[in-house]
Amino acid sequence: MTAPDRSERAGGSGGATPAGVIFDEVSKFYGDVLGVNRVTLNIPPGITSLVGPNGSGKTTLMNLMTGLLHPDHGRILMRGISPRDPERLMRITGYATQYDTAPRWATGFTFITTGLLLFGYGRKEAEEKAWKALERVSLTEAANRKVAGYSKGMRQRVRLAQAIAHDPDILVLDEPLNGLDPLVRAETIAQFRAWANEGKHVILSSHVLQEVDLISDQVVLIANGMIIAEGTIRTVREEIQEHPSQYLIRCRDASGVASRLFVEDHVTEIRLNDDRMGLLVMTRDREQFARALGTIALNGHRIDGVVPADENVDALYEYLIGGE
Amino acid sequence: MRGVNGTFSARARQAWTIARIELRRAFFAKRGLWVYALALLPALAFFGHGIDAKMDLARLGRGGLTDAALMNGVQKGETLDAVKARLGKPAEDNAGTRVRRVRKKGGDNGTTTHVIEPAVDARFVRMNISRPTYNGQQVARIFEFEIYGADGKQNLALGRPATGSEPCSPDQGPEKAVNGSVAGGKTDGWCANGWPLFLQVDLGAPRPVKRFVVKHASAGGGSAEWDTRDFNIQVSTDGKTFGTVATSYGAGFVDERTEYRYLVYFDGRREARLQFVDGTLDSMNIEPVLNFEEDRAVFAGIFQYFFLRLAIFFGCLGMFMYLFSGEMSNRTLHYWFLAPAPREIVLAGKYAAGLIASTVIFGGGALLAFAVMIWPHDAVELQAYWNAGGMSHAFWYVTAAALGCVGYGTVFLAVGLYIRNPIVPAAVLLAWEASSGVLPQMLQKVSILYYLQSLCPVPAPIDNDVPALIRLLAVPAAPASRPAAILGLLLLSALVLWIASRAVRRMEISYGTES
Repeated sequence: MTAPDRSERAGGSGGATPAGVIFDEVSKFYGDVLGVNRVTLNIPPGITSLVGPNGSGKTTLMNLMTGLLHPDHGRILMRGISPRDPERLMRITGYATQYDTAPRWATGFTFITTGLLLFGYGRKEAEEKAWKALERVSLTEAANRKVAGYSKGMRQRVRLAQAIAHDPDILVLDEPLNGLDPLVRAETIAQFRAWANEGKHVILSSHVLQEVDLISDQVVLIANGMIIAEGTIRTVREEIQEHPSQYLIRCRDASGVASRLFVEDHVTEIRLNDDRMGLLVMTRDREQFARALGTIALNGHRIDGVVPADENVDALYEYLIGGE
Repeated sequence: MRGVNGTFSARARQAWTIARIELRRAFFAKRGLWVYALALLPALAFFGHGIDAKMDLARLGRGGLTDAALMNGVQKGETLDAVKARLGKPAEDNAGTRVRRVRKKGGDNGTTTHVIEPAVDARFVRMNISRPTYNGQQVARIFEFEIYGADGKQNLALGRPATGSEPCSPDQGPEKAVNGSVAGGKTDGWCANGWPLFLQVDLGAPRPVKRFVVKHASAGGGSAEWDTRDFNIQVSTDGKTFGTVATSYGAGFVDERTEYRYLVYFDGRREARLQFVDGTLDSMNIEPVLNFEEDRAVFAGIFQYFFLRLAIFFGCLGMFMYLFSGEMSNRTLHYWFLAPAPREIVLAGKYAAGLIASTVIFGGGALLAFAVMIWPHDAVELQAYWNAGGMSHAFWYVTAAALGCVGYGTVFLAVGLYIRNPIVPAAVLLAWEASSGVLPQMLQKVSILYYLQSLCPVPAPIDNDVPALIRLLAVPAAPASRPAAILGLLLLSALVLWIASRAVRRMEISYGTES
């Protein structure tokens, strides 16, 4: 038997179907403990990063998307398919979880081939696809070794290969860059970009903020089970315009500059660097801040550089959730 | 049905793919080795029994054969010599002697006399008791302690000051042992239970002493078991330095010897075990070395009491509960839930794998045990057995084992969907299954064992002196007919499976570390 073609898989009955990953007022409780609370999202294709500290609800969101958990309230649609229907959903979705599932006896190749048999592919086709997936994660050399003997990074890649082997439209990847060495990491990120360019959803979670900052089309910031911001990094930044801006100033006389700035009304907070060669300033008014800095420089304080400190996700994140 | 993948055959193929993956694990998992051990234990036991019997036959055969009619003619009460004269040399001949130390009956009436030669001078005479009784009680009882001088007539101890270990009660003090009487009941003697146990008399001044008479508990009307067992008597002139003059160890004991003789005669099939006691035939037992009927009854017992109730029960517990709750604990269950298959198909595939594996292991175990059970018996007996429906016995044993896997497997599959720790459900189910015999007829029908026992070809042996309650627990009061039993068990399993399919749809992955 051969797998059904792409149009049938993606569209179900065909015709116009919503192409996004949609959460509508979704809540999930673990007993009395809140998992996620009233999450409403509409994630377009492209690379989307779920960013939040441990325990914030990232994995819960991913498990909800893939039907491993069922929402207590609200509704989820994955490109028009309910996660309650794994038979259709899992044909267009691949999920790389944090957990290994390969049996003791399985090699990377047999493990992925076996998984593909569940999709109804014939053995030959399954083996071809498995090999292709292993190629994509650069794991062909270890393909015939037992997964049980793989390193952490290799296990990470075999899980990724398993998730992509059936060429899904939606990829859900829980901390996919964890444990990868820099070269493979760069390759993997390039692969994500390629898939995103093909119109796929690549939804990944991470707590290494810098890496998603660079690769994400959009970010979803999550803390304590609630979405606190969503969109491109720039839109998210604009969304929170009412929050103070942060600047990092490099200068020789950090305490002198700090005492000058402290008298300004618009400055809400100043933090001196440990090396006393720099300071972090928060201001409610960027223009006034720029003028004040000019005055300070004219008064003989040498300023080596000024950079906005919150144009990356890290800074945003610190604003939003209070420095987690 | 939804498109190509929703067709029945596609789903069946998917379920079979899942089953094939699971089968490998069901059969070859390291943690499942004990399941094989359970399944093979009866076969192993019968193998040991068979080897043992074969070796007995060979050994007895080497000892020479005896005519069967002569063997049958042996009577209880015959002498050893008469039996040997008639039957000739036995196949085995063992002798043994049992020696027991027993208390000498009667005799001294609880009074012991200790003479010392020659007489010694003593002012203080002391009796130290190390084993106060024959029955182990740690209480010393002396009704009179008499001390005689060289003339042997005057009791020097009479009325003298006496001391001793702490008395049992104030009216049983040491003075009662030197008051000249024993007839006044239990308060007419010294009784002490404080260690060290001793009784000491002060004769007033050093005097030559030659003989001591001790009247123990039975002399005063007490039990002979309370008579003093081990003690010594010491004397001193100054109350400080004592010398031992008499010792009494285990007095009143004799050896009782019994001569045993065990003869075994063998007629090629049966063995006659004869036990002679002191030269007379005391007990005899003639039975076949290999008793087919008995072996079949033992098999029926092992099959019902061990195989169905314990081996299959716990085997299925391990195999089927692992399918969901075990994978949840191992954090691997999501693999199946992320497959493009309805949850019911995942359930069906896993169930099929469990069922195939458990049926092969336990059905095979039952068949193997049956084969090993009949293996040592002779061809004529076996032929008769086959003619009398032996093949159908084998069939029903295997069927009962297989249906046991269906029944218990289904129950544990469902339980595993609700409960992660197997201990509590296993205990509850075991209690329920074990007590099904005493439940009302209606409730018995929701027990797997009820149906399985109805399928067994031979009723499990049970002794007549077993209490009625246990008998009820062991054997169903009103077994179902075989078709009814099979149908009942399949219906019960289908109901449980339906409940399981509802549960698996609702099931969520919770490994306890979500973030």
